[in-house]
Amino acid sequence: MTKDIIAFWGYPERSLIKKTKDEYPNAKWVDLDIDINAPDLKLLPENYCVIIKNIYNNALFLKDKIIKILAPIGKDKCDSAYFASEILKEAGFCVIQTIFEDICPDIKEIKVPVSKSSMPLRKKIELITKNIVEQKDYSYLKPVKPRFGFWGVPPNNLSLLDLFPDETEVFGWCRAVEAGYPGDYSLETFVEKNLPTIFFTQAFCSKTQLAKYLANKYDGLFIDVDVCPNSSIKAKIEAFLKLR
Amino acid sequence: MKIYVDAGTTWTKILKIDNNEKKYKVIPTKDLKKIDIKPLKVTGHSIFKSDNYENEVVALANGARKYLEDNFIVLDLGSRDIKWVKYQNKKFQDMDWNSSCASATGATVEMLLKFYNVDVSELIFTKEKYAITCGIFGLEKIMDDVSNGLEPKIAISKFIHGIAYNAYIFTKSPEKICLSGGFCENRCFIECLEQYCKVLSLGRFVLVDGLAFSQG
Repeated sequence: MTKDIIAFWGYPERSLIKKTKDEYPNAKWVDLDIDINAPDLKLLPENYCVIIKNIYNNALFLKDKIIKILAPIGKDKCDSAYFASEILKEAGFCVIQTIFEDICPDIKEIKVPVSKSSMPLRKKIELITKNIVEQKDYSYLKPVKPRFGFWGVPPNNLSLLDLFPDETEVFGWCRAVEAGYPGDYSLETFVEKNLPTIFFTQAFCSKTQLAKYLANKYDGLFIDVDVCPNSSIKAKIEAFLKLR
Repeated sequence: MKIYVDAGTTWTKILKIDNNEKKYKVIPTKDLKKIDIKPLKVTGHSIFKSDNYENEVVALANGARKYLEDNFIVLDLGSRDIKWVKYQNKKFQDMDWNSSCASATGATVEMLLKFYNVDVSELIFTKEKYAITCGIFGLEKIMDDVSNGLEPKIAISKFIHGIAYNAYIFTKSPEKICLSGGFCENRCFIECLEQYCKVLSLGRFVLVDGLAFSQG
């Protein structure tokens, strides 16, 4: 079988993305963080971050087609991804470890047009993650006065995002990714003080610590979701959006 | 006539407003399909989520708004779920809703009462409580104690004390709880909860009142 996929997770260092694009101009890029309905191989403990489960399941499902995996392992991703990169190496993958911990010079001056725009939140998150590879210019998007904030990573199940109004500004890791500084703590923890914000993490992710802390600090709503949001989680978000 | 319906898992609460006169009614949810009504607004687990559906937490918050605006916690303990809302300085501040674990709520108590043939009025406050982080373990303890000679009404009362304690912890240990739902009619539960905080019983029609409130 022809190998034609460059797989990655998180936000690999930009020069590595460019170098790999130049080297494999016809390759398809697959984000292993995203659930592609690969069979669950149950390699990880039941109570574990579903994004890391996706990485394993997707990588092994696509193994015969993957040329190499670009594997962020620094503060821009997490320790679990570092362990996964080592284990996947042992499983025979060509894994290129990357660390993307550039510090943002001024978090107020960064350009995050998608995060600040008025469009469905799901679309914003999809554009931001796709743009890790595509690197399109969205500066033409007009900023809108936000009614709510969404802080966090792209959820495993994006249906959660459909509950939010279009005037929802994106914060957290997603915003840091759009800005091109996925490992910058100040940028990741920045939110607008008086904007009602929902702090989302995947269950069993170390970012739950940060989300809970920030939700308390900024009087927001903390939610963690494992695979899919249940009706209780959806109702909580709906109530927060209606009552705030 | 304006009609509002809160269709819970076991019981359905109905509010009819005719010429500003309010009439409340409770019927078993299984009978809801037998009656022909056209509610203006609905809430609850057991009803189809159509355009006139209101989120249960929102209905609770609207129904208890005057208490919430005095910075009280409002807790609704139903047949299968538990939810609470907190305001601070007249603004929504915090909430939680556990709709997944039915094992420690009203339906379990109703089943226990039927199983042991005990009337709710026979339940009495007991200082002891079962640790019922999981209702299944709670049931096991009841059965163990009853087989060792404890009166079922005492065992169920200990179970209810466990639920009251859990409700207090779930609401983050407030000074005062405004209670909504069927447990308002359970004297034993209220006495248990009063061991931990002040309790104001609002009755079981808070959600339908909330629906009427949101309709103006």
